[in-house]
Parts: sequence; C-alpha cells; structure tokens
Amino acid sequence: MTSTPSTDERRLAVAGGAPARARRPRQNFETWSWFFMRVSGLVLVFLALVHFALTHIINDVVETDAAFVAERWDNPLWRLFDWSLLALALFHGLNGVRWSIDDYVRSPAWRAGVKAVVYTGSGILFAYGTFTIVTFA
Amino acid sequence: MTTTGSAPRVNPVYRGRSGQWAFVGHRVSGMLVFLFLLLHIVDVSLINISTELYDEVHALYGNVVLRLFEVGLLFALLFHSFNGIRIVMVDVFPGAVRRERRLLSAVVFLTLAAGIPGGYVIMKPFIDGTLLG
Ligand code: HEM
Ligand code: HEM
Repeated sequence: MTSTPSTDERRLAVAGGAPARARRPRQNFETWSWFFMRVSGLVLVFLALVHFALTHIINDVVETDAAFVAERWDNPLWRLFDWSLLALALFHGLNGVRWSIDDYVRSPAWRAGVKAVVYTGSGILFAYGTFTIVTFA
Repeated sequence: MTTTGSAPRVNPVYRGRSGQWAFVGHRVSGMLVFLFLLLHIVDVSLINISTELYDEVHALYGNVVLRLFEVGLLFALLFHSFNGIRIVMVDVFPGAVRRERRLLSAVVFLTLAAGIPGGYVIMKPFIDGTLLG
C-alpha cells in the first residue's frame, strides 16, 4: 500500500525540486489536481462572488424567496450558472478537504475511513443539488 | 504495515511568518465555505419539496445571527478569492515571490475594502432598525 503524500511533500513534488526546465515533471494525478485548483479557483472568483452579490448586496437575503428563484431559473442560463457554481465549488472544496485529510489524518485506516465518508457525502450532495436544478419547474 | 507517510519530525512546529498565516487563513476560509455549501445544497433543495417550506427556512437567513454569519462568510469568500489569486500569480510569475509581503498586504486590503461596505449592506436592515431581533 502506498502512502499518500502530505501537502508539503506535494508542494515539493510540484516544484520539481530541480530548476523548472531541467527535467520534465511527472504528470500524475496530483499535478492535475494542483492545476484544477488554480483553474476552478479563478472561475469561482466570478461565479461565487456574483452569486453572493445577487443574493446579498443587489437583493437583500429576505427577498431571495421561492418566487425569486422561480424567476431566475426560468432562464436556463442561470440554471447553467448555478450548476457550474455547484460543480466547481463542490469539487474544488472537496479536493481541498482531501489535502487536509492527508495532512492531519495519519493512520491509514482512519484516513481511508474519513475519505470514504467525505467522498460519499459529497457525491450524494452533488447528485442531489444537480437534481434540484434540473427538476425544478 | 506501511508507515503513515509522515516525514521525520526534526522540528515539529513550523514557524513561518506571514506566509503561514496566509496558509492557515486560506485553509480555514475554504473549509468554512465548503461546509456551508453542503448545508446550502439541502436548504435550496427544499424548494422542490414545498415552496412554503423553502420560504420558511430561507426567512431564517434574514435574522441578525445569521446575517452576522453571512458577513463572516463574505469575508471568508473575499479573503479566499484574493489570496487564491495571489497564489496563482506567484505560481505563474515566480519573480513575484520577492514581493510576497506586499502581495499579502494587498490581499488583506482588498478583503477589507470589499468586505466592510458589503458587511454594512448585509447588516443595514438591522442597523436601520427595520429588523428587530
Ligand atoms: C448565505 C448566503 C447565500 C444565500 C442566501 C444564497 C442563496 C441562494 C439561492 C436563493 C439560491 C437559489 C438559486 C438562485 O436564485 O440562484 C442558491 C443556490 C445556490 N447557491 Fe447560494 N446563496 C448563498 C451563498 C452561497 C455560497 C457562498 C455559495 C458557493 C460556495 C453558494 C452556492 C450555491 C449553489 C451551488 C446553488 C445551486 C444549489 C443547488 O443546486 O441545489 N451559495 N443560493
Ligand atoms: C472564489 C474563488 C476561489 C479561488 C480563487 C480559490 C483558489 C484556491 C487555490 C489556488 C487553492 C490551492 C491552494 C494551494 O495550492 O495551497 C485553493 C484551496 C482551497 N479552496 Fe479555494 N478558491 C476559491 C473558492 C473556493 C470555494 C468556493 C471553496 C469552498 C467550497 C474553496 C475551498 C478551498 C479549500 C478547502 C482549499 C484547500 C485549502 C488547503 O489545502 O489549505 N475555495 N483555493
């Protein structure tokens, strides 16, 4: 069984240790996860801040009732917007949580157990959130 | 059995300075928003069960305690966003490491510059006295 690297080890791996162009870095899952965090993060600046502004600044929270949602979700583009926010925020956050689990949960059995619970819970909520957006009429 | 993957503990307590606080802040803010998101998926989903139920639950977001929480959420989101941009910038332009402290000051400044007026707008109904309790 291979052990999962901690954030420090991951960062060293990403940095490559040697000068950037000296050798070709390995493109493993961690490289992609690192890259995904940067790209999804930059897109989330737009999605999350616009969503928060709409629900708190432009409109007051008490105005975000069912009628408000019905009006917004009448437009499929807003459904797409909300679904993109759901997918990116959830997987970006989940990957961040995965890093933290690797950092703090040291026993292999506990680590596997905690991950199983977190992945299952997030997977169910992702499906459920998608279902909400798609089936709302 | 294999090891747990921990490095030998030479000096177990790493004491970085501002960079370490940025790391802690980034981790805590990200975690907070993630946990909120899990709850939020459930509260939004109520709309498909009953719009009355959704309205009832959603009205809670308007009370003072939850408004304060929303101000916290706003600060967490702002700090995490600006600090995330800083991290990406330093990755893309390694030379920016030399301006590390100044970049972090910019992150804090932007968070406060956007968070304070935003927080004021969120608390306004309470400050005006339109919202009691
Ligand atoms: C307390 C603060 C917030 C309030 C009052 C709020 C309000 C709402 C409302 C009214 C909707 C229904 C759809 C719409 O009108 O767009 C919604 C959906 C959604 N919000 Fe928020 N929002 C808040 C914060 C956030 C944050 C910080 C995030 C991102 C991490 C987020 C992510 C989402 C997602 C992903 C959906 C779609 C939900 C689903 O598929 O079930 N919200 N929110
Ligand atoms: C709003 C724009 C966002 C940006 C620019 C952003 C950027 C980033 C970046 C670049 C990282 C990687 C940090 C590293 O490699 O050390 C990261 C980590 C993380 N993000 Fe975000 N993110 C954003 C939104 C979110 C949201 C909405 C959530 C929650 C759902 C979230 C949760 C996390 C978590 C939990 C981590 C892991 C932190 C750690 O390992 O210390 N982020 N973010």
